[in-house]
Amino acid sequence: MPSDPGGFRAFAERAFDPAAIPGKPEALAGVRVLEVATRIFGPATADYLGLFGAEVIKVEMPPRGDLMRYVAPEGFFWKEVSPAFLPLNRNKYHVGLDLHPAEGKEIFLRLAERSDVVVENLRAGTMDRWGVGYLQLRERNRRIVYAANSGFGQWGPFSEGRASYDATAQAVSGFSAVTGFPDQPPMKAGFWVGDYTAALMSATAILAALAARRKTGEGQMIDLSQAEAMIRTLDWTWPYAGVTGKDRERNGNVDPSYPPSGIYRCRDGFVAVSARDADERACLARTVGAPEPPESPSPSPEGVARYCASRTVDEIVRVAEEGGFSAAPVRGGRDHYHDPHLRARGTVCSVEDPLYGRVDEYGPAPKLSESPGRVKECAKPVGWHNEKVFGEMLGITGEEMEALARKKVIGKWADLPGARPPKGSAP
Amino acid sequence: MSGFAGWVREATEPSAAAGKPEALEGIRVLEFCPGHFGGMVAASVLAEFGAEVVKVEPPGGDPLRLVAPEGIRVAGTGLPFLSEARNRRFVTLDAGAAAGRDVFRRLALSADVIVTTEPPERMEAMGCDYPSLRGERPGIISLSLSTYGAFGPDASRPVRDSDILCQALSGGPHIVGEPEPEGGAPLPHQAPTRLGNWHGSFVQGLWGAYGVLAALHFRAETGMGQAVDVSGAESLMMFADYNITWMHTGGKARERVGNFDPAVFPYTYIRCRDGYTFIAAYNDEAFDSLMHIIGRPELSRDPRFSTPKNRVALGNERALLSIIEEWSGDRTADEILRAVEEYTSKRGGPGAAVVTGRVNRPLETLAEDHWRERGCFLRARDPVYGELLLAAPPWKMSGTPARWKSGCRPPGSDNRDVYIGILGMTEGEYRRLADAGTF
Repeated sequence: MPSDPGGFRAFAERAFDPAAIPGKPEALAGVRVLEVATRIFGPATADYLGLFGAEVIKVEMPPRGDLMRYVAPEGFFWKEVSPAFLPLNRNKYHVGLDLHPAEGKEIFLRLAERSDVVVENLRAGTMDRWGVGYLQLRERNRRIVYAANSGFGQWGPFSEGRASYDATAQAVSGFSAVTGFPDQPPMKAGFWVGDYTAALMSATAILAALAARRKTGEGQMIDLSQAEAMIRTLDWTWPYAGVTGKDRERNGNVDPSYPPSGIYRCRDGFVAVSARDADERACLARTVGAPEPPESPSPSPEGVARYCASRTVDEIVRVAEEGGFSAAPVRGGRDHYHDPHLRARGTVCSVEDPLYGRVDEYGPAPKLSESPGRVKECAKPVGWHNEKVFGEMLGITGEEMEALARKKVIGKWADLPGARPPKGSAP
Repeated sequence: MSGFAGWVREATEPSAAAGKPEALEGIRVLEFCPGHFGGMVAASVLAEFGAEVVKVEPPGGDPLRLVAPEGIRVAGTGLPFLSEARNRRFVTLDAGAAAGRDVFRRLALSADVIVTTEPPERMEAMGCDYPSLRGERPGIISLSLSTYGAFGPDASRPVRDSDILCQALSGGPHIVGEPEPEGGAPLPHQAPTRLGNWHGSFVQGLWGAYGVLAALHFRAETGMGQAVDVSGAESLMMFADYNITWMHTGGKARERVGNFDPAVFPYTYIRCRDGYTFIAAYNDEAFDSLMHIIGRPELSRDPRFSTPKNRVALGNERALLSIIEEWSGDRTADEILRAVEEYTSKRGGPGAAVVTGRVNRPLETLAEDHWRERGCFLRARDPVYGELLLAAPPWKMSGTPARWKSGCRPPGSDNRDVYIGILGMTEGEYRRLADAGTF
């Protein structure tokens, strides 16, 4: 069977070339998503859909909007926007709409009639209490797929009134109990992994529900708890508890499934050493001067640690690649920003935004050859797209919008860093 | 339970899922991921939504079956494999031999999706790389999972993909763990710290499944298949917060700060009488609520803590942690939860955003009724593997619920079903290939 000239590698360089992305179609073109969400869990869910071409309308409570706008590393805002808000809100239309007054609810329901998906992450039952929950939306649009993201789910003893963040899910799921070192307290992941993991699961279920809708013509309700999402990721933790009746312990930086694979300190940084099978373990043993199998089933973590301590990261990676085991450097954000590999893959990409100019971001992880994901625009101030959405999509006139704004049903940004446009750019 | 919660419960009750239709019914997935956990996850996620998955193992079984933390095996298979071996058929095949390659190609050409973690060179040699397959089956979706991805300057680096490699490259461990001490030699735990589970592999599989679903959506619109390339390192990288935007706008990189946080505080684990619990109250109104809860309302006006920016100065974070722990140290996690709920139930809006939750050991999570009621865990029963405690699919859905249908089976258990039932082999061909050791 003839392959493409040059084989798969050559095919891949051509088929995934980031430079060709703007000319290609988008996988989720034609899917409209309404987001009523704050912080990370809901916004990231909608962001993942938007990266692949869904049109996302982010509904924010004016004038302050999503409270994530005010989460700023070391209190740092750039052009009046927080760098922590940007990566969660690409490719979105931002509208300021208060869902409390009747007119606000009606506008939302009209938007929902024209939408395919709703993503929310308010406390369980809040949207229903406001009269804009799944049951009310379904009356107006049988095709709506409604993802209710929450900490503990929409029902069950813990569901009522309990709020949740990423680290709630890290904590209550057992995730933190297995992360860190055995003689130290449990370690919270320093990034908001309990939000992103659950957000990706929510976006995944939304795509499954859209696939089902093709066959049935009907939408559905998705109830996803971020703690339950984290529980699902804990691999052998649960069968281990079932078989032994014991807690899985924290195992520090050595992977207890593939010892001595782990993270090791080098002379100039840290390296991950990996030996997945007997061949790799034998090569690693030879390299670090440990007894080889079958004399010993695998080199000890202490032996690997001693070997790494006196060498550089690059040296160990080179020795591994030549010697038949695996190794990779421990990298951080600064390394990523300057990494030619990640740039060549569009995993670190530059966006030319009409409001902010050039902004660099992480691009989508899955690379699709025919309908690739992409970052088209950055996040915007509260209410930035009111005219576009309320006017062009719903046909509300300028006068009506002014009246609605006077009644604070719709609105725009507060005069605060995080909510407002860059200085000198406001229309 | 009444009203909306009652309705959702009735509509999404996991024990009633079995009678309902499935979202991905009719989608066939071929999983060729020997020794690879992330590949299993990608296939499992699709299978939980109803795709039909055929897992191809080498004769004798997948090398991942031998991976056994603490040496625990059940009927020869370790717990990591057992935890993810669900909703699929298990066939064996010697894909290295000519007859096996032919069978594999026939399987691939019967599939909608092929998931592989083998190097592209091997897939090419088998005539089963994407460009070869699409000639005969233009709608096929080919997902490949690896450490660095299939293209780019590092794509050809010789590594055998694993969770620890993906985690290391992702930027995750770089910002997990305790920082180096000011002076003196660092202790072993003062280092970039791996997430204890195989989160790198899990997320790689999850992004893989997501990419496949996006590609299936596109195929339903256009009839076109495509290749999907997923790097495990980049998969977890997408969760590394604002690494790139902060570098770009402020020239700063995230560094390790233990259980502190450079953007939000309080947002940390605090010591309590029965272990640790999480506490967050980082916007001004919520912080004021927390200070009332701990009986120190005057601290909302303390210049060290009176603005979000001041609260995230690391020295102030440390000071605030010890103040909060003075209060929490002689209370249990449940008492802290009740105190928070009592106060925040009277206060709506941003002031109610005080959030807590006990840092559970796994057995503590298992002992809580909430998860049991919601069908979060299940006990699989199998004549070979006995009773196994597993995490159920996390999605509750009213129309086409995700579900667990079947667990692990021994290698080759489904050979006959798949080779005769799906591929249409005759009994004679099946026997001849089986006798020749092809499967």
